[in-house]
Amino acid sequence: MVTAMNGEEVRIGVYICHCGTNIAGVVDVEEVAEYVSKLPDVVLAKHYVYMCSAPAQKMIKEDIKEHRLNRVVVASCTPRMHEPTFRRVVEEGGLNPYLFEMANIREHCSWVHQDEPEKATKKAKDLIRMAVAKARLLEPLEKREVKVEGRALIIGAGVSGIRAALDLAERGFKVYLVEKSPSIGGRMAQLGKVYPTDEYALDILRPLMEEAVSNPKIEILTNTVLDEVGGYIGNFTVKLTVKPRYVNENCDLCGRCEIECPIQVPNEFDFGLSMRKAVYLPFRDAVPQRYVIDEKSCTRCGRCIEACERNAINLKEKEKIVEVKVGTIIVAIGHDLYEPPTGEYGYGIYDNVITMPQLERLLSRNGPTEGQLLINGSKPRSVVFISCVGSRQEPGIYKPLREDQKLNRYCSRVCCTSAIKNAIEIKERDPNTKVYYLGRDIRTFGRGHEDYYRRAGELGVIFMKYRAEVPPTISKGSNSLIVTVQDVLTGKQTISIPADLVVLNVGIIPRVDAVEIQNKLKITRGVDGFFQEAHAKLRPVETPTDGIYLAGTALGPRDITDSTATASAAAAKAAILLAKGKVELEPIVAYIDLSKCDGCAMCVEPCSFNAIEIEEYKENGEIKKRAVVNEALCKGCGACAATCPPKAIYVKHFTLDQISAMIDAALME
Amino acid sequence: MVKAGLIIGGGIAGIQAALDLADQGFKVYLVEKSPSIGGRMAQLDKTFPTMDCSMCILAPKMIECGHHPNIELLSYSEVEEVRGSAGDFTVTVVRKPRYVDEDKCTGCGVCAQHCPVEVPNEFDEKLGIRKAIYMPFPQAVPRVMVIDRENCLECGLCEKVCGTGAINRQQQPERINLKVGAIIIATGYKLFDAARKEEYGFAAYDNVITGMMLERLLSASGPTGGHLIRPSDGKIPRKIAFIQCVGSRDERAGILYCSRVCCMYATKEAVLIKEHVPEAEVAIFYMDIRAFGKGFEEFYRRAEKEYGVRYVRGRVAEVIEDSATKNLTVRAEDIESGRLLEEEFDMVVLSTGITPNTVDILKNPSLISASDGFFAVSNPKVNPVSTPVKGVFVAGAAEGPKDIPDSVSQASAAAMRASIILRG
Repeated sequence: MVTAMNGEEVRIGVYICHCGTNIAGVVDVEEVAEYVSKLPDVVLAKHYVYMCSAPAQKMIKEDIKEHRLNRVVVASCTPRMHEPTFRRVVEEGGLNPYLFEMANIREHCSWVHQDEPEKATKKAKDLIRMAVAKARLLEPLEKREVKVEGRALIIGAGVSGIRAALDLAERGFKVYLVEKSPSIGGRMAQLGKVYPTDEYALDILRPLMEEAVSNPKIEILTNTVLDEVGGYIGNFTVKLTVKPRYVNENCDLCGRCEIECPIQVPNEFDFGLSMRKAVYLPFRDAVPQRYVIDEKSCTRCGRCIEACERNAINLKEKEKIVEVKVGTIIVAIGHDLYEPPTGEYGYGIYDNVITMPQLERLLSRNGPTEGQLLINGSKPRSVVFISCVGSRQEPGIYKPLREDQKLNRYCSRVCCTSAIKNAIEIKERDPNTKVYYLGRDIRTFGRGHEDYYRRAGELGVIFMKYRAEVPPTISKGSNSLIVTVQDVLTGKQTISIPADLVVLNVGIIPRVDAVEIQNKLKITRGVDGFFQEAHAKLRPVETPTDGIYLAGTALGPRDITDSTATASAAAAKAAILLAKGKVELEPIVAYIDLSKCDGCAMCVEPCSFNAIEIEEYKENGEIKKRAVVNEALCKGCGACAATCPPKAIYVKHFTLDQISAMIDAALME
Repeated sequence: MVKAGLIIGGGIAGIQAALDLADQGFKVYLVEKSPSIGGRMAQLDKTFPTMDCSMCILAPKMIECGHHPNIELLSYSEVEEVRGSAGDFTVTVVRKPRYVDEDKCTGCGVCAQHCPVEVPNEFDEKLGIRKAIYMPFPQAVPRVMVIDRENCLECGLCEKVCGTGAINRQQQPERINLKVGAIIIATGYKLFDAARKEEYGFAAYDNVITGMMLERLLSASGPTGGHLIRPSDGKIPRKIAFIQCVGSRDERAGILYCSRVCCMYATKEAVLIKEHVPEAEVAIFYMDIRAFGKGFEEFYRRAEKEYGVRYVRGRVAEVIEDSATKNLTVRAEDIESGRLLEEEFDMVVLSTGITPNTVDILKNPSLISASDGFFAVSNPKVNPVSTPVKGVFVAGAAEGPKDIPDSVSQASAAAMRASIILRG
């Protein structure tokens, strides 16, 4: 039997891969090839040890010419892996790359039916028969190119966002660096000293912030949030809301406004350990160096305006909408910190139970105590660190204090080394202070981190290990708190430690606005709540949405070193796009048969990519409606096709005819 | 400004760095000392915690590298000398003789079928054999044979059977000079020599193997076709112990740092053993489980709870072989129970650590860290890929132990920093 497509005789070549023993160890590939060779329109069927290898690719290309093949089917692994490879092979062989179909006989067959080789062999035949049925109906498709706007948008100006901005700017590209708070700098600005170099965080960060400000290619927008994102890879249109700062560039930091302001609120930069005014400088090294008015707590009393001699304050300032067109977006929104519920290890009950970020502020030169470790005005004689607070919370073992509390099962990656670094600092400042570290596992895995662990031991920091099942408990003693722990290092002895200060090594959690960013950018998050990379191993900074990349702790917990590495990596991905100046678009998109479309708009909502719009048009003087697909946005998912009542939409390469043919083939035997 | 980059080392870090520079439009020379690119990742069976088949995800990148119009692949080559400075380096590369003409060889392997010499295969950690003329592994890029002249009998059979006349035993080392603007070092790592820990008996006992050997035993393309058997008698091991921190966090071995990947690779291998031999008992002897990456903690908990892998907190003091059964007794301290433990196993796997693989190609002592022996970076916090030498960058395990995603991120980062120099 010979099928004709567009007047041309269909000639299909089928190639069955052994994948070493991955497939051939289960599926009888010889038998499958023999069977497939007898299917209608199949001109030849071959099997080979690795179809992805160079000689097999060469064989396919030669067969296309020699046997005048006009359709190719490869039965091997998942198309996610090698579909691009074989499309290229088919194209190099002289065919349209979309005249190729893949049957997955590894993940869908040999791997999952290892114990039933006979049935697996039968299933492989079924899968290939289906692929052949579809291949008969394949049509050539053409790729298109779109131009890339030569600018980048970076969301979040912590150390990752700044690193990525500097990289792209130095590479020659224009960057919009957007920060929602009044200063750039992010979480790193709040730290005291950093491991493994023992430098003050700001001593390293400040030069970077200054470089970002002085680089003419970088436009910094602070107090600015993401409003709306439209467009697609190479052509994003982003609306940003610049919130009023109420203080203009005349401000010379004289501070008179701050003195006069009657409002006091907890200072978020010091994690509530100090107070600030409603008009304030976020921190000493803030960039831009300008005061800001916190509109939530300001009562509009106007005393700051009176105090200001430079006419820098304007309480009537309105928010502004700025629209930028960019080719690529880097998400570097960073992280929040786990806030223990009241009662977790006495937090919120005893004022000498603090979190590690608070300790960082106390040890910081620019902190509320100017770097002195003071609790209620006096120096603690005994400090206990408790690890894994808000991290490694295992279901069944960890009992949440609140019913609605989400478990953070992951490790926060930075707490062990940060805490040990702080333990060392406390010991070095006063060797008589007793310092205890209660951990589950000590995870000092990074370069130079193990040295900290060893040094802490040498300085007399006492390490104990507890099991998740039996966490330490806190109670009130006569002069201090009592921390009770069952220490596995000493044969599970129960030990009570008097503590003047308990420091909770709180974990890293996703930003509270991560959901909003996710929805606006249409990117995905993992079960841990952090943004998800396109591939855990080999595409660690890409999102599944083309042109949008991830950097720093937006991806999940990591320290500064690992954050800036991902930031430069994300910049590299953006630079590739910007340097190329154009991008190729997949032709597998939704197509609307206008003779059937009645403009009902049922397809609009199911589309997750905002790729379908309804437009009005005139026909014979009558106004009608019809759906229009933005092919650059469409991902070819088919949700629209599944909902369309008159079956007016289909996805190219996955047409209803093609799918029906596959189903018929599946049910044939 | 020379608008070309040099990448030294063709493992996953070097491959990623090469692709990211080449995709930006720069010319890239990728120099790899072994006959194929792919590096350590090519040897792995699966990767944690997603259990992706390592070769399956690596091979497309290798092929992309091999096909890329901007990448010139110099396999079986070594950098001999680097002169000049950022923006204008002259690099001398020695192309070692393969004794096989790269342009003529189709990689069909007929020569290897006829070659009478069998030697232990280093790709299989010497658990399997290869011929004196061989392809390093089936997915090798370039797909060209190579003759190991040290073991070659000069019988000439390969020359007789080669259909394309590709064998050329007269080949000589060839020196070429390259002009490049920036250099990325991605030379990877060496595994700790397990024999140095005499108390674990790696050199003396057949059934004490390393984690990398186990990768090859578990791999479908490995010497046993993916059948887990123990070396002494080819029987399926039913009770297996892993010893962690072999050559890591070990003052006696003079290696103080953590190798960052062993906890997870042992956990992954333990899970794979349970999948291969569900009734097998697996115990992991450890000090701390460092499951810090994305999905790692969850994977580790699943290994213990769902797969029944037993985690024993405690350093192993020694391993003793029963000379009759070749079984192994592990003596360790079980810290959590506070008791000394003596337990017999069929096989012991040593989770060997990562050690430096540094070559001081620039004859500049500041390039290598005195404290751990890996390549140094001048500003580890905010620019973790720039070495103290301008125009020279580092990526992957050459800069210290790292898993695949961290190596890949760093490789892209190094390409980013290098591209700034190349842009001029």
